[in-house]
Amino acid sequence: MKKENYIETILNSTNGISKVAPSADLFSKIEMRIQSSTVSSKTLWLVAASIVVLATINITVVMRNNVTSNNNTTISLAASLNKSNQLY
Amino acid sequence: MSIHSTDFENMYNQYKILVYNVALNYLQNIEDAEEITQDVFVQLYQSIDKFQNNSTLKTWIYRITINKCLDFIKHKNSKKRFFIFGTKSNSEFELHKVTNFEHPGILMENKENAEILFGIINQLSENQKTAFLLSKVDGLSNPEIATIMKVSISSVESLVFRAKATLKEKLSIKFDNYRKK
Repeated sequence: MKKENYIETILNSTNGISKVAPSADLFSKIEMRIQSSTVSSKTLWLVAASIVVLATINITVVMRNNVTSNNNTTISLAASLNKSNQLY
Repeated sequence: MSIHSTDFENMYNQYKILVYNVALNYLQNIEDAEEITQDVFVQLYQSIDKFQNNSTLKTWIYRITINKCLDFIKHKNSKKRFFIFGTKSNSEFELHKVTNFEHPGILMENKENAEILFGIINQLSENQKTAFLLSKVDGLSNPEIATIMKVSISSVESLVFRAKATLKEKLSIKFDNYRKK
Protein backbone atom coordinates (compact mmCIF):
# COMPACT_ATOMS: atom_id res chain seq x y z
CA MET A 1 0.00 0.00 0.00
CA LYS A 2 2.82 2.33 0.91
CA LYS A 3 4.51 1.57 -2.42
CA GLU A 4 1.30 2.28 -4.35
CA ASN A 5 0.91 5.59 -2.56
CA TYR A 6 4.50 6.51 -3.38
CA ILE A 7 3.99 5.68 -7.08
CA GLU A 8 0.70 7.60 -7.27
CA THR A 9 2.22 10.64 -5.51
CA ILE A 10 5.11 10.74 -7.98
CA LEU A 11 2.83 10.25 -11.01
CA ASN A 12 0.52 13.03 -9.82
CA SER A 13 3.33 15.45 -9.01
CA THR A 14 2.72 17.39 -12.24
CA ASN A 15 -0.88 18.14 -11.22
CA GLY A 16 -1.46 21.87 -10.97
CA ILE A 17 1.53 22.65 -13.19
CA SER A 18 1.47 26.23 -14.46
CA LYS A 19 2.66 27.42 -17.84
CA VAL A 20 5.97 29.27 -17.90
CA ALA A 21 6.77 32.24 -20.15
CA PRO A 22 10.10 32.44 -21.98
CA SER A 23 12.48 35.34 -21.31
CA ALA A 24 11.39 38.77 -22.55
CA ASP A 25 14.29 39.22 -24.98
CA LEU A 26 13.58 35.97 -26.85
CA PHE A 27 11.59 37.67 -29.62
CA SER A 28 14.42 40.08 -30.43
CA LYS A 29 16.82 37.10 -30.61
CA ILE A 30 14.45 35.39 -33.06
CA GLU A 31 14.22 38.57 -35.17
CA MET A 32 18.01 38.78 -35.31
CA ARG A 33 18.26 35.16 -36.42
CA ILE A 34 15.63 35.72 -39.12
CA GLN A 35 17.49 38.76 -40.44
CA SER A 36 20.82 36.92 -40.58
CA SER A 37 19.24 33.91 -42.28
CA THR A 38 17.56 36.19 -44.86
CA VAL A 39 20.96 37.67 -45.80
CA SER A 40 22.50 34.23 -46.11
CA SER A 41 19.73 33.01 -48.41
CA LYS A 42 20.37 36.02 -50.70
CA THR A 43 24.05 35.12 -50.76
CA LEU A 44 23.11 31.54 -51.56
CA TRP A 45 21.06 32.65 -54.58
CA LEU A 46 23.90 34.92 -55.72
CA VAL A 47 26.37 32.04 -55.53
CA ALA A 48 23.97 29.74 -57.39
CA ALA A 49 23.46 32.35 -60.14
CA SER A 50 27.25 32.84 -60.45
CA ILE A 51 27.75 29.09 -60.87
CA VAL A 52 25.09 28.96 -63.61
CA VAL A 53 26.70 31.90 -65.47
CA LEU A 54 30.16 30.33 -65.21
CA ALA A 55 28.88 26.97 -66.46
CA THR A 56 27.12 28.65 -69.42
CA ILE A 57 30.30 30.54 -70.39
CA ASN A 58 32.35 27.34 -70.17
CA ILE A 59 29.91 25.35 -72.31
CA THR A 60 29.77 28.15 -74.94
CA VAL A 61 33.58 28.35 -75.16
CA VAL A 62 33.95 24.57 -75.47
CA MET A 63 31.28 24.43 -78.21
CA ARG A 64 32.97 27.22 -80.19
CA ASN A 65 36.37 25.50 -79.94
CA ASN A 66 34.83 22.28 -81.26
CA VAL A 67 33.36 24.06 -84.32
CA THR A 68 36.71 25.79 -85.09
CA SER A 69 38.68 22.53 -84.84
CA ASN A 70 36.21 20.74 -87.17
CA ASN A 71 36.66 23.51 -89.81
CA ASN A 72 40.45 23.25 -89.53
CA THR A 73 40.35 19.48 -90.11
CA THR A 74 38.22 19.90 -93.28
CA ILE A 75 40.56 22.54 -94.72
CA SER A 76 43.70 20.46 -94.08
CA LEU A 77 42.09 17.36 -95.64
CA ALA A 78 41.09 19.31 -98.76
CA ALA A 79 44.59 20.69 -99.14
CA SER A 80 46.17 17.23 -98.97
CA LEU A 81 43.82 15.88 -101.66
CA ASN A 82 44.55 18.68 -104.18
CA LYS A 83 48.34 18.20 -104.21
CA SER A 84 48.31 15.67 -107.07
CA ASN A 85 46.42 15.52 -110.37
CA GLN A 86 46.53 11.73 -110.59
CA LEU A 87 43.22 10.01 -110.41
CA TYR A 88 44.58 6.71 -108.97
CA MET B 1 9.54 38.11 -46.68
CA SER B 2 7.00 35.32 -46.18
CA ILE B 3 4.87 36.89 -43.44
CA HIS B 4 4.24 40.44 -42.32
CA SER B 5 6.30 41.33 -39.23
CA THR B 6 3.23 42.41 -37.21
CA ASP B 7 1.45 39.13 -38.01
CA PHE B 8 4.57 37.24 -37.02
CA GLU B 9 4.80 39.10 -33.71
CA ASN B 10 1.12 38.32 -33.04
CA MET B 11 1.73 34.67 -33.84
CA TYR B 12 4.75 34.66 -31.51
CA ASN B 13 2.72 36.20 -28.68
CA GLN B 14 -0.06 33.67 -29.23
CA TYR B 15 2.09 30.54 -29.34
CA LYS B 16 5.31 31.36 -27.43
CA ILE B 17 4.04 29.79 -24.19
CA LEU B 18 2.85 26.65 -25.96
CA VAL B 19 6.17 26.14 -27.77
CA TYR B 20 8.33 27.02 -24.78
CA ASN B 21 6.45 24.75 -22.38
CA VAL B 22 6.40 21.76 -24.73
CA ALA B 23 10.16 22.19 -25.23
CA LEU B 24 10.71 22.63 -21.49
CA ASN B 25 8.77 19.47 -20.63
CA TYR B 26 10.62 17.57 -23.33
CA LEU B 27 14.18 18.79 -22.80
CA GLN B 28 13.99 19.71 -19.11
CA ASN B 29 16.50 22.50 -19.50
CA ILE B 30 15.65 26.21 -19.65
CA GLU B 31 18.44 27.23 -22.08
CA ASP B 32 17.69 24.32 -24.44
CA ALA B 33 13.96 25.12 -24.35
CA GLU B 34 14.69 28.73 -25.33
CA GLU B 35 16.95 27.56 -28.15
CA ILE B 36 14.21 25.26 -29.47
CA THR B 37 11.64 28.07 -29.18
CA GLN B 38 13.93 30.22 -31.35
CA ASP B 39 14.39 27.40 -33.89
CA VAL B 40 10.64 26.75 -34.08
CA PHE B 41 9.72 30.40 -34.71
CA VAL B 42 12.51 30.86 -37.26
CA GLN B 43 11.19 27.81 -39.11
CA LEU B 44 7.62 29.09 -38.83
CA TYR B 45 8.68 32.42 -40.31
CA GLN B 46 10.49 30.75 -43.20
CA SER B 47 7.93 28.07 -43.99
CA ILE B 48 4.56 29.63 -43.17
CA ASP B 49 3.81 29.50 -46.94
CA LYS B 50 4.07 25.70 -46.81
CA PHE B 51 1.41 25.48 -44.11
CA GLN B 52 -1.55 23.55 -45.46
CA ASN B 53 -4.94 23.98 -43.90
CA ASN B 54 -5.32 20.19 -43.53
CA SER B 55 -4.53 20.71 -39.86
CA THR B 56 -4.82 23.71 -37.57
CA LEU B 57 -1.88 26.07 -37.07
CA LYS B 58 -1.71 24.97 -33.43
CA THR B 59 -1.33 21.28 -34.43
CA TRP B 60 1.33 22.22 -36.98
CA ILE B 61 3.25 24.20 -34.36
CA TYR B 62 3.02 21.28 -31.93
CA ARG B 63 4.44 18.94 -34.58
CA ILE B 64 7.33 21.26 -35.45
CA THR B 65 8.18 21.74 -31.76
CA ILE B 66 8.14 18.01 -30.97
CA ASN B 67 10.24 17.17 -34.03
CA LYS B 68 12.76 19.87 -33.12
CA CYS B 69 12.96 18.50 -29.56
CA LEU B 70 13.49 14.93 -30.81
CA ASP B 71 16.23 16.07 -33.21
CA PHE B 72 17.85 18.07 -30.41
CA ILE B 73 17.89 15.04 -28.08
CA LYS B 74 19.30 12.80 -30.84
CA HIS B 75 22.02 15.36 -31.58
CA LYS B 76 22.85 15.66 -27.87
CA ASN B 77 23.01 11.88 -27.42
CA SER B 78 25.30 11.49 -30.43
CA LYS B 79 27.58 14.14 -28.89
CA LYS B 80 27.64 12.17 -25.63
CA ARG B 81 28.55 8.99 -27.52
CA PHE B 82 31.34 10.89 -29.27
CA PHE B 83 32.74 12.20 -26.00
CA ILE B 84 32.66 8.81 -24.29
CA PHE B 85 36.16 8.12 -25.69
CA GLY B 86 37.38 11.61 -25.05
CA THR B 87 37.25 14.01 -22.15
CA LYS B 88 34.19 14.01 -19.92
CA SER B 89 33.68 17.72 -20.71
CA ASN B 90 30.08 18.91 -21.07
CA SER B 91 28.39 15.53 -21.42
CA GLU B 92 28.33 14.51 -17.77
CA PHE B 93 27.49 18.03 -16.69
CA GLU B 94 24.58 18.12 -19.14
CA LEU B 95 23.33 14.73 -17.93
CA HIS B 96 23.52 15.93 -14.34
CA LYS B 97 21.60 19.09 -15.26
CA VAL B 98 18.82 17.04 -16.91
CA THR B 99 18.36 14.50 -14.10
CA ASN B 100 18.19 17.26 -11.48
CA PHE B 101 15.76 19.42 -13.42
CA GLU B 102 13.41 21.55 -11.35
CA HIS B 103 10.48 22.59 -13.51
CA PRO B 104 9.71 26.28 -12.79
CA GLY B 105 5.97 25.68 -13.26
CA ILE B 106 5.65 22.88 -10.69
CA LEU B 107 4.07 23.61 -7.30
CA MET B 108 6.63 24.02 -4.53
CA GLU B 109 5.40 20.99 -2.55
CA ASN B 110 5.63 18.75 -5.66
CA LYS B 111 9.08 19.84 -6.86
CA GLU B 112 11.02 16.92 -5.38
CA ASN B 113 8.56 14.29 -6.68
CA ALA B 114 8.33 15.94 -10.11
CA GLU B 115 12.12 15.84 -10.33
CA ILE B 116 11.98 12.05 -9.89
CA LEU B 117 9.14 11.77 -12.44
CA PHE B 118 10.93 13.80 -15.12
CA GLY B 119 14.06 11.70 -14.60
CA ILE B 120 12.08 8.52 -15.31
CA ILE B 121 10.04 10.01 -18.20
CA ASN B 122 13.35 10.37 -20.07
CA GLN B 123 13.73 6.59 -20.04
CA LEU B 124 10.50 6.08 -22.05
CA SER B 125 10.49 5.50 -25.80
CA GLU B 126 9.98 8.59 -28.03
CA ASN B 127 6.29 7.90 -28.75
CA GLN B 128 5.41 6.97 -25.18
CA LYS B 129 7.18 10.07 -23.88
CA THR B 130 5.38 12.32 -26.38
CA ALA B 131 1.96 10.82 -25.65
CA PHE B 132 2.48 10.90 -21.89
CA LEU B 133 3.77 14.49 -21.79
CA LEU B 134 1.01 15.81 -24.05
CA SER B 135 -1.65 13.95 -22.08
CA LYS B 136 -0.47 14.26 -18.50
CA VAL B 137 1.57 17.49 -18.46
CA ASP B 138 0.05 19.52 -21.31
CA GLY B 139 -3.44 18.24 -20.55
CA LEU B 140 -4.42 17.56 -24.18
CA SER B 141 -7.24 15.15 -25.03
CA ASN B 142 -6.55 11.83 -26.80
CA PRO B 143 -8.08 13.01 -30.12
CA GLU B 144 -5.86 16.13 -30.04
CA ILE B 145 -2.76 14.01 -29.33
CA ALA B 146 -3.77 11.60 -32.12
CA THR B 147 -3.94 14.50 -34.61
CA ILE B 148 -0.57 15.88 -33.51
CA MET B 149 1.17 12.49 -33.59
CA LYS B 150 -0.66 11.39 -36.77
CA VAL B 151 -1.82 8.12 -35.16
CA SER B 152 -5.21 6.69 -34.23
CA ILE B 153 -6.92 7.53 -30.93
CA SER B 154 -6.61 3.90 -29.82
CA SER B 155 -2.86 4.07 -30.45
CA VAL B 156 -2.64 7.13 -28.20
CA GLU B 157 -4.61 5.33 -25.48
CA SER B 158 -2.27 2.37 -25.79
CA LEU B 159 0.85 4.59 -25.71
CA VAL B 160 -0.32 6.46 -22.60
CA PHE B 161 -1.29 3.19 -20.91
CA ARG B 162 2.07 1.59 -21.67
CA ALA B 163 3.92 4.75 -20.59
CA LYS B 164 2.12 4.71 -17.24
CA ALA B 165 2.82 1.00 -16.82
CA THR B 166 6.53 1.51 -17.52
CA LEU B 167 6.69 4.48 -15.15
CA LYS B 168 4.96 2.48 -12.40
CA GLU B 169 7.37 -0.40 -12.90
CA LYS B 170 10.42 1.86 -12.72
CA LEU B 171 9.06 3.72 -9.69
CA SER B 172 8.37 0.38 -7.98
CA ILE B 173 12.02 -0.65 -8.48
CA LYS B 174 13.13 2.77 -7.22
CA PHE B 175 10.95 2.37 -4.12
CA ASP B 176 12.34 -1.13 -3.39
CA ASN B 177 15.92 0.10 -3.78
CA TYR B 178 15.19 3.04 -1.48
CA ARG B 179 13.74 0.69 1.17
CA LYS B 180 16.81 -1.59 1.01
CA LYS B 181 19.02 1.37 1.90
